[in-house]
Amino acid sequence: MKNFCNRREFLREISSGVCALSLSSGFTTIENLLNAGPAYGAEPPLKEAMFYKKLEDVRIECEICPRACKIADRERGYCGNKENRRGIYYTLIYAQACAVHNDPIEKKPLFHYLPGTNALSIAAAGCNFECKFCQNWQIAQFRPEQVDSYPLTPEQIVKMTKDQGSPTIAYTYSEPVVFYEYMYDTARLGRSQGIGSVMISNGYIKEEPLVELCKYLTAVKVDLKAFTEKFYKETCSGELKPVLDTLERLKKIGIWFEIVVLIVPTLNDSEKEIREMSRWIKERLGNDVPVHFTRFHPMYKIKNLPPTPVSTLERARKIAQEAGIHYVYIGNVPGHEGEHTFCPGCKKIVIKRTGFFILENHVKGGKCSFCNYPIPGVWEKPQAIQPKKL
Amino acid sequence: MNPQRRTFLGRTVSFIASLPFFSFFKSQVTAREVSSTRVTSPAGDKARVVVLQREGMVRGDAVDINLAMKMVNEGVCHVTGNSLPSGAWRELFTPKDTVGIKVNCLGGKGVSTHPELVMAVVEGLRIAGVPDRNIIIWDRLTSELESLGFKINRQGEGVRCFGTDSNYDPNVEEVGAVGSCFSSILSRQCTTLINMPVLKDHDLSGVSLSLKNLYGAIHNPNKYHDNNCDPYIADLNSHPLIRKKLRLIICDGITGMYNGGPGFKPQGSWPFQGIILSRDPVALDRVGCEIIEAKRKEKGLPGLKEVGRDPKHIMSAFKKGLGIGDMKRIEVVKG
Repeated sequence: MKNFCNRREFLREISSGVCALSLSSGFTTIENLLNAGPAYGAEPPLKEAMFYKKLEDVRIECEICPRACKIADRERGYCGNKENRRGIYYTLIYAQACAVHNDPIEKKPLFHYLPGTNALSIAAAGCNFECKFCQNWQIAQFRPEQVDSYPLTPEQIVKMTKDQGSPTIAYTYSEPVVFYEYMYDTARLGRSQGIGSVMISNGYIKEEPLVELCKYLTAVKVDLKAFTEKFYKETCSGELKPVLDTLERLKKIGIWFEIVVLIVPTLNDSEKEIREMSRWIKERLGNDVPVHFTRFHPMYKIKNLPPTPVSTLERARKIAQEAGIHYVYIGNVPGHEGEHTFCPGCKKIVIKRTGFFILENHVKGGKCSFCNYPIPGVWEKPQAIQPKKL
Repeated sequence: MNPQRRTFLGRTVSFIASLPFFSFFKSQVTAREVSSTRVTSPAGDKARVVVLQREGMVRGDAVDINLAMKMVNEGVCHVTGNSLPSGAWRELFTPKDTVGIKVNCLGGKGVSTHPELVMAVVEGLRIAGVPDRNIIIWDRLTSELESLGFKINRQGEGVRCFGTDSNYDPNVEEVGAVGSCFSSILSRQCTTLINMPVLKDHDLSGVSLSLKNLYGAIHNPNKYHDNNCDPYIADLNSHPLIRKKLRLIICDGITGMYNGGPGFKPQGSWPFQGIILSRDPVALDRVGCEIIEAKRKEKGLPGLKEVGRDPKHIMSAFKKGLGIGDMKRIEVVKG
């Protein structure tokens, strides 16, 4: 040991440390450092996740979303709110709501769904994307233990919804696909009592859980973030193709759905991209699917871009209309003409809005009251149905 | 050191510890400023990694605290090139420091940083004159620390110990491909950092050693699991909050895991009965990785790269200049 002390010096040095450990009063000793007290910060009860399969070596593969995370013992998936514990995959946010509000349904936005009504809107922490412009990143991009959440059971949610006179529960703000079990049980219970459920989602969900969930949903809103894989990969940490698959499945299932496209300046606002997207929507989903082009505001990791110019949104709307889509809206621009629903038959305003408020509603029995042209959507409150036995 | 000599030393230390006046030596320690955060070896542009193993470090479930302390002191002497533990600790830390000790609790009691080893490090900091209240033992969650047997102390006298829980910085820090909120313990409370990972295999990154342990300092590690966590681990470690504060790494190798990590699996673990120390996180990880690979080979398992878990983050960190990843430039001191 070059330049090191001799044995005696070394022994003396070590001894001083040992003495300090053993004798010093008022200092932390090993006994003080080690805990003997009650449990701190007890975790909420766990619930086993739906849709996963067990792999060898206590690993699991999540089958909720196309990410298909393969997760080792004690690890979590990309969403951050499910954990493998000795080969069993648990959701950590079941009945743990981090946001609860009674919102106008127009805020979701769903414009062809019970206009003028409210939806009890709930969220739990986590997301299976990481959009750099995430508008709710303080809950969507955090793990459950990092967010203030409150115990709220499906029974309590349904009761609250009824007490407030709202016909609908919305699963929103963060990403409901990653709190699937919570959403599923609540939607199922709500449906049995005549309360509808709408999922406000990025559409990044596998077929089997989507089909199962849609038995109890009344509508879905899907964020189509862009129409290029590049944008999905670089800006959202996701993929476009599975989202398009979801949209086609929703069409096939026959559930009501609307599409939101958040236009981010320079990243997904090219005329070519909007045109290709509009053409795809028309061809694959039909011209009655409402499309909302909404305004971006700088947030989370994209703070260097300005809010979307209104002219960009207007151009996108014009392109989509030219492609033949009937119901094209502009969002996050209160008072804009693009908030109204125009009848494709007589071209009159059938639902007049400003912000989240309904000023006029001329849709009667699903038809334009001026010309009887059918306006697609959900205009009647859902009937109570008994949950199917699984 | 032969067993007889070791036994003698251990008994002597235990005996000496029982004599009150030997606390005198602690008072002989005086502090001086540390001006740099050198990561390379005292010998020059080489990095030094110290690997110490002792039989009897664990007896049953209990870690021999005296032996742990002796090893830690010996290790810091080798790391700094200082002949005396007092000089070594004082070279690394000053009484003005607030030292965060980042442990790793994820693996539960089977393969996590042992409180006894942490206590040995706390004793070293005391030698350097760091006040107890300026020492914070931390990890992600208070509940995880508690489950390992640490006593939680947020505000009281003495060494503090608590998890980040929900206390992350409100702003996102972006570095390379990583964008995260940092633990406020690291960003606001600690002026220096001791990283105390464990020696283990990892299902995604290949190994979880010094560099990977700092995933526990950000709010969203789950977002950075793709591509064997590369380049995310290297990017994270390049952030000034880590790079400038990291002063010492002491890897707990009392139990090592060569397969099945990060959760504890007895069938994938072995009693390494040692600690690995360095000031260079890349060099330590390189050496730790070689130890794990050697054990895998001994057990007839394929290499980490072969099973799709190439720990490429280590070389990414090397390329970023966070330390030395070339084994030819790493001086391994074994004892």
